[in-house]
Amino acid sequence: MVRLLTHNLLACHARNCTSNNFPLELRDVSVALREADYSEDFLRGFIPRLEWPALVQAAKQLGEDSLPEEPLDPATATEEQLKALHHVLLEVHIEEGSMVCPGCQHVYPISNGIPNMLLAEHELARS
Amino acid sequence: MQILVRFAQSHQEFRIPELLSVAQVCGFELEIPSDADATRPFMVLDLPDEHHARLLARRCILIKAVSEFWATGATAEELHVAVKANEAAWRPYEHVSFKFLVGAYNQTISSAEQRARMESLRYMDFDGKIDLKHPELVMEWWEEYDDAGELSGLPRGEGKGLLRQIYFSRAIEDGSARTLVHKFDVKKRAYFGNTSMEAEISLLMANQTLASPGKLMYDPFVGTGSMLYTAAHFGAIVFGSDIDGRQIRGRGTEKKETPGVESAARQYGLAGRLLGCATFDVTRNPWRRGGLFDAIVTDPPYGVRAGAKRLGRKDLTKQRTSPVRLSDGILSHVKPDYIPPTRPYELADLARDLVRFARWALRPGGRLVFFLPTVTDEYAAVDIPTLEGMELVANSCQDFGSWGRRLITMRKVAQDDGERPEFPLEGLPYGGGGNGDEEHVPAHKGFRDKYFAGFKREEKEQLAASSST
Repeated sequence: MVRLLTHNLLACHARNCTSNNFPLELRDVSVALREADYSEDFLRGFIPRLEWPALVQAAKQLGEDSLPEEPLDPATATEEQLKALHHVLLEVHIEEGSMVCPGCQHVYPISNGIPNMLLAEHELARS
Repeated sequence: MQILVRFAQSHQEFRIPELLSVAQVCGFELEIPSDADATRPFMVLDLPDEHHARLLARRCILIKAVSEFWATGATAEELHVAVKANEAAWRPYEHVSFKFLVGAYNQTISSAEQRARMESLRYMDFDGKIDLKHPELVMEWWEEYDDAGELSGLPRGEGKGLLRQIYFSRAIEDGSARTLVHKFDVKKRAYFGNTSMEAEISLLMANQTLASPGKLMYDPFVGTGSMLYTAAHFGAIVFGSDIDGRQIRGRGTEKKETPGVESAARQYGLAGRLLGCATFDVTRNPWRRGGLFDAIVTDPPYGVRAGAKRLGRKDLTKQRTSPVRLSDGILSHVKPDYIPPTRPYELADLARDLVRFARWALRPGGRLVFFLPTVTDEYAAVDIPTLEGMELVANSCQDFGSWGRRLITMRKVAQDDGERPEFPLEGLPYGGGGNGDEEHVPAHKGFRDKYFAGFKREEKEQLAASSST
């Protein structure tokens, strides 16, 4: 269950891959929808930590187009807007497929909802 | 209002830190009296009102019960003087139905003796009827004795320990959080491993994180997920990672099989708060930014049963710098069964790195809660890693004799996240030591070797002892 919130927080971290490493491209993904506990406090507190354009883009790719192009303002967001954000961030689960670095093309496979973010040996720093 | 707290008879060093953490979660200030002795099973606290005592009783794992403190004395005579002096507290209850509860620590009081204790309070002259089932008032008489068995080898409660103190109080509420110890019993869990943390400790850890609804918590050595369930129970949204994905998944590797951690979360009705799990090495982590988590809570694998690992070859000179193409033309690392090489992760390095990681990854004010095993004879306070921006909140030892493990709670006081930390394999100082340029090597360095060497030494001593008789 890679939720879109998690996807929004993960970047490629292979050695020397420090730019154009986010967001990871979703490839061949299968998606499941599952309810999550709603917490208004959590959402308002987390909005400033999101990369909004990346979230909107990933949501659209998975057929969720309820988010506005402009980031929500945590102070003024309405309950309706927060509910939509909650759904996109926490209720859309990627079960299978992969996340691919747009820069170095490292493929991070997702299996049974668990992404394998381990680096390969040659991608590690040597110290 | 003066509140008498009666503690469960375990984890003494965790009592005060838990009280303080739970008070903070519940949003009130708690001052521990300067003469409080956490090694004793009773403590008198000053709280604004009864409601606050109830809040503590509902969340503190180590509280057996809370009551309104009426009087105390080192002897029965002293106690009665104190009871009479505090008549203002109990006189309002003179007409309500009531019952007595007489109990003792480290001693058994016969029912005849219990009746004698109740009779000795006859001067209170209550005229309400005695109701054993639904009394409006329960008065508690508790006697605390020295543990005579400890010295004589007798079981607890036998032998004649000296009376230390008597407490008289009005019952308010029994601690209800202790029932969670059964709910989260590892043996009843849908998924667990042989290093899963026992329920009571993982609940204490969750309290140290200040877990509550709306918070995000992360375990970077998640293993079979013990820390996630209790933090999620208190309302937090939780995420776990581990270098070994098999721990997260459990035995099932088939497609469509629910990972072990997720099935346990479902069993507890907490899947809606499990943000997810991922396989990675926290020293080579994919987090896009710092300042994400309200708490980082973890029981790192310190090597008594299974040692910690990190990515990289043990012999760095052999570490590959370019991908390898196999004979079938495919790059080795894109194969589904590819596992990158790992090397042992020395405990002292891990503890230091964890604090550095937390300094970056926590939100300001967030907490780092983790276990650090220590060798009892060698431990010194300076062994706890220090770092600018991180402040020690609590350090509670669970004593196993020649070694112990310390539950360390730290708070991020820095307001910034700083630079993303790197975790080089060698060359970083351990920090600690406090004053000066000299590098302090913490006593838990090489813990695993010491642990096993210690066993061998004890075995040798036993052999020597048995052969000499």
